Amino acid sequence: MAYINKIILNTFIDGPGSRMAVFMQGCNLRCLYCHNPETWNLCTNCGECVKACKKGALYFKDGRVKYNKDLCVKCDVCIKVCHNNSTPKYTDMSAQDIFKTAYDNRDFLDGITLSGGECTLQYEFILELFKLIKENTKLTTFIDTNGYMEFDVLKKLIDVTDGFMFDLKALNRENHIKLTGYDNEKIIKNLEYVSKMGLLYEVRTVLVEGYNDSVEEIEKISKYIFNLNDYTKFKLIPFRPLGVKGKLSNMKQFDEEKFEYLYDNSKRILQSRLKE
Amino acid sequence: MNGVIEILSNTKLDYKQKRAALSSLTENSLPYVDISDKARKYMEDGIICNLNEGNAPYRPRYILPDYKKYFENGSEYLNIKKPSDMYEAVNALLIIYNYVPSITGYPVYLGNVDELLEPYCDTVSEKELENLLKMFLVNIDRNLPDAFVHMNIGPRDTRVGRLILKLEENLKDAVPNLSLKCSKDTPDDFIKLAIKTSLEIGKPYFINHDELVKVLGENYGIASCYNALKIGGGSFTLVRVNLKEAAKLSKDYNDFIERVLPDVIGCQCEIINERARFIVETAKFFGTSFLSREGLIDISNFTSMAGIFGLYECVEILSGMKMGADESADEMAENITKRAYELVKEKEGLYCYGYGGKIGFHAQSGIDSDIDVSAGVRIKTGCEPEIFNQIRLEGKLQKYFDTGVSDIYIFDRTAKSNIDGVLTIIKGAFKSGIREMTINTSDSQLIRITGYLVKRCDIEKYEKGEPLREGTVALGADSIKNCRILDRKVRGI
Ligand code: SF4
Ligand code: SF4
Repeated sequence: MAYINKIILNTFIDGPGSRMAVFMQGCNLRCLYCHNPETWNLCTNCGECVKACKKGALYFKDGRVKYNKDLCVKCDVCIKVCHNNSTPKYTDMSAQDIFKTAYDNRDFLDGITLSGGECTLQYEFILELFKLIKENTKLTTFIDTNGYMEFDVLKKLIDVTDGFMFDLKALNRENHIKLTGYDNEKIIKNLEYVSKMGLLYEVRTVLVEGYNDSVEEIEKISKYIFNLNDYTKFKLIPFRPLGVKGKLSNMKQFDEEKFEYLYDNSKRILQSRLKE
Repeated sequence: MNGVIEILSNTKLDYKQKRAALSSLTENSLPYVDISDKARKYMEDGIICNLNEGNAPYRPRYILPDYKKYFENGSEYLNIKKPSDMYEAVNALLIIYNYVPSITGYPVYLGNVDELLEPYCDTVSEKELENLLKMFLVNIDRNLPDAFVHMNIGPRDTRVGRLILKLEENLKDAVPNLSLKCSKDTPDDFIKLAIKTSLEIGKPYFINHDELVKVLGENYGIASCYNALKIGGGSFTLVRVNLKEAAKLSKDYNDFIERVLPDVIGCQCEIINERARFIVETAKFFGTSFLSREGLIDISNFTSMAGIFGLYECVEILSGMKMGADESADEMAENITKRAYELVKEKEGLYCYGYGGKIGFHAQSGIDSDIDVSAGVRIKTGCEPEIFNQIRLEGKLQKYFDTGVSDIYIFDRTAKSNIDGVLTIIKGAFKSGIREMTINTSDSQLIRITGYLVKRCDIEKYEKGEPLREGTVALGADSIKNCRILDRKVRGI
């Protein structure tokens, strides 16, 4: 069983072709700019959200918070009041459940992408699910990760995964710590290994003003990716305040002109390997 | 005479549109073709409608001339010889288009233009070819300003087909309507080019060629909005049943299936046959048309069309459930469709020689005056379920329609950078039984109104009262208000 935040049956932005995306609950980094901080933690059943929900969609059963989808109006008040960066709306699902959904829709899909939170925290589930997919369909299996995992976990995942998308917050160690609370050494090592294995489909960097948006940093990342291999695509994403909690919740959307400048700069280095 | 003055002084109509309105006024001064009182009553009550065809039809509604034959033999009537190069070929087509009758006065079928023109490619330079095709398309848009004027390309990958897609994407004109026949042999990158075009301008349609060949044979074309008919033939008439209104006459589902539907469809077929009879016997169309004399059409390829629409609301009224949200509603939708199909096929179709003496079954796309009733067998705009479920349900329903049915899938802009993903979905849709479909993005400059395209900016002009070349813009503007066209669900993140 695994904790699943959300399933999207059809996305065009989470890897090649038409994909089903599964967003898993729980994360091991604490990025300041995170758009979905409610995916960070598991629910502690404190009950704050139960009190706040005006629609009666949340209730206690056997000491645990339960969620009734049919009554929910998607106001997200529950997420706002949760001090624990969690949500009462994630569900327990088995690899079989998710496999079946993918299987039923296989004619419309090129593959499945696991994302988060940080999906590799529940890597045993991924191994089971991807094995089922590989044995029974032609769908490709992708993982969208922050890269912060033990090396032997990565090696196991590589056996069943067709492509990885890495979130690279910063190359500069200090910047990385400022943005995420953690060192990037482990992440870089994993990223380079995946690159060597020919599985690094895409690297993404979210541009956050004053943290990682210096011309030098972005040039450094672009050159780093350029020299890494000859296939990985790079995507620059401007910061948006939507969903962000805490310190950066009042920060404005990333400046458009500056974004274009950084984009053009990176384009000169990476050419067609920089994604639109 | 009031009607005449009203038309003459209507500031929203241009000269040609006034002339067309005057001619239908004259036609309608005759009594309606000879039908029973019961059938007449159904028409008065809006349960059956013949879509502005007029009381005394003197030409078939849809004609698909055999342009290939025209190219082989030329035309004595038009004094056109077999074309010898690209200039003559393009010219020959532009000439004959003006001589193809229809309800609107504009030809509803322009031919499989890529196959027609491809053999002449080597008679001109690359640049000339592109210029000529551009001129050809612009000429069609300006001279035949009606969004039901329909061009076909595919399933073979051709230079002309590719150029048409490229030019259309740049021209961004509503006319012609365009369909790409896709077979299992059509190369992926040709279809992908069409997807790219389609995400910009809402056309072409994607046609499940292999499936339609099974139904109609190789020699079919897509005409008007999305009507699949035999080349060298067409359809005398299209008369449609409003299933929503028919449902209101029923006590319950059983009553609908056993009493109301058979009665209504019986009358629908009666009207259809009387109209066909009038065209053939009274107006003597086949005896007077040069198309017929020169073998470019033949009555042996013709049929008539029985349409249905408003299935969504019909199911809602009969069961209180919603198609796409409830499995038993989906099942009911399929049963109703199947029953209607069988009832149509039980009847003799007068002069329907092209369809084995049967009337073709059609999912009618709705018109501007339809309020709160969904096109054909589509799910109500804005109530569509998750896209794959919508496709699966529509796939089950589309298999009953042998003269045209289609659905629209609107993606968000992220689709534009993932053409492969869209290709997978189209192929999946074909596999699920979808015969005809269109795709578009929510921010497109051209808006698809159930079966045809209008420009967003033209609608704004129409609303301000400016006269426009295309009559379909008026239909479109009214449809947008009445049928919530712009609310169709957007797919992707
Ligand atoms: S979701 Fe948050 S607020 Fe609700 S019970 Fe769980 S921890 Fe408490
Ligand atoms: S989003 Fe949360 S608070 Fe709002 S109705 Fe749903 S469960 Fe209740």
